[in-house]
Order: sequence, then structure tokens, then C-alpha cells
Amino acid sequence: MPAAISAIANIVIGGIFHAAVLFLVAAGLQLVFGVQKIVNLACGSFYALGAYFGITLVNYGLSAGLPDWMLLPLLLIAGLLMALIGPPIERLLRTVYDRDESFQLLLTFALVLMFQDVFRLVWGANPRSLDNVHLVYGKWTVGDFSVPLYNLLVISAALLAAILIGLFLRRTNFGRLLRATAENRAMAEALGVNVRTVYAAVFTLGTLLGTLGGALVVPTSAASLDMAVEFVIEAFAVVVIGGLGSMPGALAGAGLVGLIRALALVVYPEFEILAIYLIVIGVLLLRPSGLFGRPAT
Amino acid sequence: MKLSRRALLTSLAATGAGATAPGVFAPAVAQAKPCRVGILAPRSGIAASAGESGLRATQWAVEKFNAGGGIAGRRIELVIEEETNPKDTIERFQRLVQQEKVDCVQGIVSTGVGLALGPVAEEARALTIYWDGTTQDGVDEKLPNPKYLFRSTDNECEAVMSSLLAIKHWRGQFKTIAGINPDYSYGRNNMAAFVALLKRFNIEHEVITEQWPKVGTMELTSHVAALKAAKPDLIFSSLLFADLPVFMKQAHAAELTKGTKLVFPAAGWQHTLMKKDFTPEGMIFGHNTLYFDNPKATPLQKEFVTWYADRFKDYPNWEADRAYFAIASYKEAVEKAANSKGTAWPTIDDVIGALEGSSVESLGGKGSWRKDHIADQTFVQGFSTHANKYDFVTLDPARIETMYSTELQKPAGANFWDWLKAAKFQI
Repeated sequence: MPAAISAIANIVIGGIFHAAVLFLVAAGLQLVFGVQKIVNLACGSFYALGAYFGITLVNYGLSAGLPDWMLLPLLLIAGLLMALIGPPIERLLRTVYDRDESFQLLLTFALVLMFQDVFRLVWGANPRSLDNVHLVYGKWTVGDFSVPLYNLLVISAALLAAILIGLFLRRTNFGRLLRATAENRAMAEALGVNVRTVYAAVFTLGTLLGTLGGALVVPTSAASLDMAVEFVIEAFAVVVIGGLGSMPGALAGAGLVGLIRALALVVYPEFEILAIYLIVIGVLLLRPSGLFGRPAT
Repeated sequence: MKLSRRALLTSLAATGAGATAPGVFAPAVAQAKPCRVGILAPRSGIAASAGESGLRATQWAVEKFNAGGGIAGRRIELVIEEETNPKDTIERFQRLVQQEKVDCVQGIVSTGVGLALGPVAEEARALTIYWDGTTQDGVDEKLPNPKYLFRSTDNECEAVMSSLLAIKHWRGQFKTIAGINPDYSYGRNNMAAFVALLKRFNIEHEVITEQWPKVGTMELTSHVAALKAAKPDLIFSSLLFADLPVFMKQAHAAELTKGTKLVFPAAGWQHTLMKKDFTPEGMIFGHNTLYFDNPKATPLQKEFVTWYADRFKDYPNWEADRAYFAIASYKEAVEKAANSKGTAWPTIDDVIGALEGSSVESLGGKGSWRKDHIADQTFVQGFSTHANKYDFVTLDPARIETMYSTELQKPAGANFWDWLKAAKFQI
């Protein structure tokens, strides 16, 4: 592969990998807002929870004699298990469904702080990481282009999640109920939809996307107390670009943010953050509802 | 022999004192009020591991000193508070001084906090000894002649040393250089110091990319891709928080480290996380003022590292040395002032006077205080190796270099950049 193409491929794959993880977190945020109309600041905490528990489960599994290739299944299990935190938290959020948005923000922010203390208590203040175990699946190397296959698996997992969510929302009865509830909660309730069940399911699904994102990214990264806040800020940029509550918007927004960031780092690294927020400002000025959002009526 | 009641009590008291406090100040320990030392150290977030290492060293030193009679006959009591953001840390500092009535405050790792706290310590007339962090805005001193504040060596010492090592060992072996450094004054000044020294020694070079991830960024694949696209001969990085091992892991996966010379002046802050699996041999690796596995370690360092490893199943980083230096030099100054004045406990002015120009053996080697209240300490760097019993890299014993900071930091009142241009460096 010619050197220039290799360099471009490295940059694009790096950007897409970042976008894949960002999508999982932002998709959870979108889903919860789309149906429940709650801006869930704690989505970053779910991401951190998945990362921390992913490390614990992988370390436990590998020390118990499981082969290294079990890394990915173990991380998926970690993400799934941690999603069980969703229903009790959704139960807590019920107290603010009908209150002012500021209460919802305060409560979810309180959850961020509480989770941070729980992480400190359980896993300590020092960042945790896995060693180089993610290279167990090997690397794809062509000339100067080199990418761990694990990174490609994460990208595939995020794409699969996007497709499954799309199919779930559009092709299943429960998905239709979700969309109906998102459109008009009162009408859905009047027609016999059990909104409580819908909300619990949606919130758990949103939690799952976050915990899966955290679990999947941690082999290449590290779990730290600050990661909950670090990622959620970028996730909000994705939401603004893609359109609040829109799942295709989350996918497009994450892709755009990931690729723009990767490109900025090559062309003019000082613009890494600025480039993203210039797009956010542009979208807010030219299309306030986001690329895929619907204008407010 | 008939033992009288009085003789029995006297011998029991003597035995007890001898068994519990063998030092010269032992009889006074039980009676004198304690010497209270306030500690401000990060306990969470990206600098938590540094704070933890420093706290452990302080606690070790206090146990050791108390067993030997405390400080000038007073038992040491620690009052520990957390270092967080400047505002909250200043409030905790004021609580330590005003409510806890501590005799001395020690700690501080963050430059941002140190910069903000400096004037407050002066205003409060509270003896304060920093472990790390400075009162510099960039490299410009903002508190040139403090009375109550004693500060660590300049942040740029490690970058100057690494740059000198790179020039010494790799001159003529690299031309294109890239940087990935934390996006605040520390990272920017370190990179600028490296480039300035290359110019100073007429090393032909071209900076082809500079990456500035914000502190604590844990997803660096795009930064790695950008560095790889630039194809540098050498990468200079003063990453030092938890993002450092993440970068190294991602760089290794992308084969960025293969065939590239690496200069990492502050890697020792995360040394136990720099696993052999992804950290190459032969990189310039800075351990700052404490290299735990130094073959030339003093008995004091060996004793401390053994205790640390046994107790915590871990190995200390340089913040342990900074913390030990702070409390050991305070102890020595108090006792020196008390002896010279012939008093039980010296005044704060006497302690300050005794600290100025004083010198102690710290964990990583000699440490001393300049007249302008800046520390001079012993720095250790070298080339990474996998030939050890650990799962992380250490320094190749045959290629360890030690320098005293008088060779690495600007003298009192000097401008850093002017000093870099004119200083006589030993290469």
C-alpha cells in the first residue's frame, strides 16, 4: 500500500474507532431523551461503570484460566451485566419525570458524583487498565497501515448496535410502542401502553449502550474517575450535531466528530477541539434542530 | 536483694521509655504537645497515584521519626486534607492553618494549585513546603522572594535532562521530531525546552507535528495516527498522567514505537503501568528524583522501597521522594534551629533561617534548599530495559545517568530561556 494511502487509512480508522465508542454513549443519551425527555448526564457514568467492571471481569476470567480470545465475550458480558443497574436508576428518575428540567439535570448530575465515589470506593482512585490483551486477535498490517483487529471488532460492534437499534425501533411491536410513547406519551397511555414498562426498558437499553461502550473501549484505553465527564461532553456535541433524540443523528454526529477530530490532529492539532465546536456552532446557527432532528413546533 | 517500690517504679519507667522511644528527645515525647504537620495531596483524579505515593512516604517518615523521638522531642501528628482545585485547596489550607493550628503545611502536586496557593501562604505567614508544582506562570516566577514558602525544583528540570541525554546519545541519528505533550504550561514548556536545546547544540532538526491532548485524554488513537502519518525519527513526550500508558499501548498497537526514538522525561510517574508488553526498550525514560530500582540506592532508599513493596505490593514514584524531602528537611531545620537557639521549640523565623541553604539525604539522593527557597535535588534518568524481574520496564543499569538540579534549573532570578542559551551544560 503506498505510504500516503497508508497514512490516510490510519487516520480514517483512528477517527472511526473514536466515533464508534462515541456513538454508543451518544446513542444511549439519544434514546433516553427521545422517549423519556430526560437529558441523562449520568450516561457517562454508565460508560465508566462498563469500563471498570470490564477490567474486573476480564482479569477474573483470564486468571481463572479462560483463554485470551475470550476477551471480547467477557467484555460483552460485563456490559450486559452492568446494564442491570438501569431499572433501579430509572425507578429513581420517576420522581422527577413531571418536574422541571432543572430537577432532572440536578438528579442525573448527582448520580454522576455518586457513581464517581462508588468507583473510588470499589476500584480505588488510580486509573485501571488491562495490559496488551486486546492484541490477542492480532493486527492487520499492510505496508505502513496497521490496526489491531480488536479495534475493527469494536467498530463492527457499534455498527451492529446501530443496525439492531434501527430494526428494533422500526420492525418490532415494542419498538413501535417506544416511538408512539416518544411522540405522545398521554395518547400512548390512553391507548393502553404501559408507559412505566416502556420507560424502564428504554432506560435499560440506554444504560446498556453506555456500559457496552465503556467495556469495549477499555482494553485499548484505561478506566479512570474522570472518564465519565470526559466522554459525556463530546457525546453532547454529537447530540447537538445529529439532532436531539435522533438515532441516525447519533450515528452521523459521532462519525462527523470522530473524523473531523482525526483530520484536525493531522492538519492543525491546535484545532482539535475548536474544529468540533465550530461545527456545533454552525449547526446551531443554520439548523438548530441538528442534522437529523425535527424542528421544534 | 530487696526491691523497694520506688526502685521498681523507676526501673519500669526507664524500661518503658527505652523500649518505646529510643531517641534523644524520648523523655519529652510523652509530655510535649505534638508537632502538627498539615498535608495537602491529591487523592483522586489523574494525579491520585502521585498523591498516594507522597502520602505513603510521609507516613513512613513520620513513623520512623516518631520512633526516634519525633521532631525536637515532639511527636509528629499529620492532618491530611485533599488537594483538588485551587479554590477548594486554598480553603483547606486556611482550615489547616487557622483551625488545626498546624506548624507546617506540606504537599501540593499541581502547578495550577501551587501558583494560586503561594500568595495565600505568604499572606497567612504559614511555613509551607511544596512537594511539586511551582509558583511559576509558565517559566516566569510569580513569587520571586517568598518568606514562608519553599518550592520544588523547576518543572522543566526533567525535560532539560532528557534533552541533554538525547543530544549526547543520539546526535546525528535523528532529524525529524514530533511531540505529544499535555496541553498546559508543563507540556508546552518541556517541548519548547527540548527544541531550544537542540538549537543551542546546533542539532539539525525539523518539528513535523506537535500533538497537544488535554490532560487525562484516554482515547488517543487519532493522535497516534497523526504521529504515524508524520513519520518522525524521534518523539518527545512529557505525558505523565494516566494517559501515558494508554498512549504507549495505542502507539505500540499501531507500530508507532517501532524504529522511532522515544524521549519521555516524566514517564517514571507511571512507571509500574509502563508494561513490557507495549513499552519498548531503549527509550529515554525519566524517573525524576526517585528511581526505585537504582543499583546505587542509599540504605535509606532501600529501606523505604522494601517497606513500600512489602506493604503495598507496589513501587514508589518520585512524589515519594519529594514528600520525604519536605518532612525530613523540616525536621532537620527545626532541630538545628532549636539547638542553635538553645530553646525547646524554635520560632517560625528560626526554622526558615535554618531551612535556607540546608541539605539532607532524601530518598533519591541529596536534596538542598536554595536561598530563594527553591529546592535542588538529584535527578535520575536512563534507557528503558526489559531485563528485570518486573512486568514493567526499568532502567538499564549500565546506562543510568544521575544529575544534580544545579545543572538542570535556572539560577535565582534568571530567565529560563536566556539561561538555556547561555548555561554551561555537561554532556
